Amino acid sequence: MKMRPSALIADDEPLLRTALASLLAELWPDLDVVAQARNGREALDYFERFHPEICFLDVHMPGLSGIDAARQIGRRAHLVFVTAFDQYAVQAFSQGVLDYLVKPVEAKRLAETISRLKERLHLAQPATNTEALLQQLASQLLQRASAAPAPLQWIRAQSGQTVRLIPVDAIDYFRSDAKYTVVAWRGDDGQPAEAVIRTALKELIAQLDPVHFVQIHRSYAVNLRSVSHVRRGEAETANIHFKRRCEVLPVSRSYLNLFRQM
Amino acid sequence: MAQEADLHTRGWLSRWFGPRLWVVLALAVAVGYPLDILVNSALPGVTYRTVGLALAGLSAFNLFELWPRVLPKSLTRWVLQVVAVGLAMPITNFLFWSLDNPAGAPPFWHDNDRLGSFGVLTALALLFAPWMALAVLVRQKDALARHQALSFDLERSELERKALDARLHLLQAQVAPHFLFNTLANVKALVAIGSPRAPIVLDSLISYLRATVPTLNDSESTLDQEIHLVQAYLELMHMRMPDRLDFALMIDETARELRCPPLTLLTLVENAVKHGIDPSEEGGRIDIQVRRQDGRCLIRVADTGVGLRQTTGGLGTGLSTLRQRLLLAFDGDAHLRLTEPESHGLWAEIDFPAEAVLAP
Repeated sequence: MKMRPSALIADDEPLLRTALASLLAELWPDLDVVAQARNGREALDYFERFHPEICFLDVHMPGLSGIDAARQIGRRAHLVFVTAFDQYAVQAFSQGVLDYLVKPVEAKRLAETISRLKERLHLAQPATNTEALLQQLASQLLQRASAAPAPLQWIRAQSGQTVRLIPVDAIDYFRSDAKYTVVAWRGDDGQPAEAVIRTALKELIAQLDPVHFVQIHRSYAVNLRSVSHVRRGEAETANIHFKRRCEVLPVSRSYLNLFRQM
Repeated sequence: MAQEADLHTRGWLSRWFGPRLWVVLALAVAVGYPLDILVNSALPGVTYRTVGLALAGLSAFNLFELWPRVLPKSLTRWVLQVVAVGLAMPITNFLFWSLDNPAGAPPFWHDNDRLGSFGVLTALALLFAPWMALAVLVRQKDALARHQALSFDLERSELERKALDARLHLLQAQVAPHFLFNTLANVKALVAIGSPRAPIVLDSLISYLRATVPTLNDSESTLDQEIHLVQAYLELMHMRMPDRLDFALMIDETARELRCPPLTLLTLVENAVKHGIDPSEEGGRIDIQVRRQDGRCLIRVADTGVGLRQTTGGLGTGLSTLRQRLLLAFDGDAHLRLTEPESHGLWAEIDFPAEAVLAP
């Protein structure tokens, strides 16, 4: 005699887990929901323990996401993704052969999914090979999270036991100091302050908005918004003066063209 | 129209006794005095006549600048002023020569000598006066154009500021869809099981939406509104992740009436949920403290979430936008401080001047 089909539900929101479970109980009384997981890691644990034939996975979960969990489950179960409004994910799902549900889950839509699942179980079809698709999806979502990495807005600087975040537009300049970088900025009171960070100047420059931050010397990068003027010296030299600081920084010959007259 | 309104507000005193008077008098003396010296004593006091003419011209100019208030369509004011100044010259001269008439002598128009001098001065005056009137009018028009250009610039920068505001506002409202559908899914679940919590949660959702959907009238709001909004938001999030989110609010009641740019507190709290609590499997706690101290309003949103170490991208944009908004709203007199405490999580602190909301 054939056993009842079993399923796993993973969602970080408890109300949604129970809602899906009760909707499934109504539309597919034969289905046995063996476990409800609160995140991707738990989903994997339960999967290894119960080996359900079907997994309903919320895409967005803390820690391990639904996509990550799905990649580890692979072809060992029929996968159904559940997602809230997420244009990109839905696009990706609908292009592939993946089953997906959009929250709030509608009974009619769930019934369609159920009949597809029943068919596959009935034919004893192996789960579709989704690895390539999932990988693509995962990288797509990742790309979107860090799409065109926005320029750094805050610099994290350790001071004592706490880490302070310095807004980049309060920074006047960076000075490279061996492995460290000194951040010269203006505190809340407008007074000059300094902080030391571990990131090398070169690395830092790459992450900053190039419109405002330019390197002027092997060891210096300045915030152009803080510069008051540049004074040319003899023989291809120049010095940078700041609006609210008395330091004067040298401009190396190779960066002089930044300050040619318009 | 704008020109007239402007002239009315400048006050008649300064119009009659302002720089115009001195310029006109100086010119009258400059023209009259050399004539006095050149011409022999047969014509005593050319200067006092030129001064008289100047005053008469100025009076005519000033009079018709405002009077009559409404002109017939066929008549433009500048023409009226120039013509009035022109007419004032022979009339004034006529008065001078009539009053000057030596006792017993025939009227000056019977005396060729005096008629001649009358003619010369009148001609001179007619040559000068209308041109001066025109020059003043041209200058006025220039000044008006400059004034308009300036106010146009001001208006534009104000518009730019508003556009920026609106854009920032939209940026912040953009979180809505994912949040909205997830929350609706939860509300639906509550309704499906007939939970008595459903209407309460819906109320929270409604207050959240009312405050975050971009509205036209959103430049001023009180801290009290912000606190209600944040409470609604946190209650919604608590419904969605009851096992992962704890929160507490400590509010100085005297701070509620203070002015607070819209979505300030919400941005901090949403940030704490999104980047601190939500990515963590165990979740965490959010403590919100609002104090009023030494004329300033101090707000702290402390979470025990994953902190910044583990967040990738995304963070910072919302907060640096908020920072810019605060600087704009308080003319630079506002601070947003972010620190990571030794344990874990993130502290976001802002302070700004404790100001009452301006009367609408």
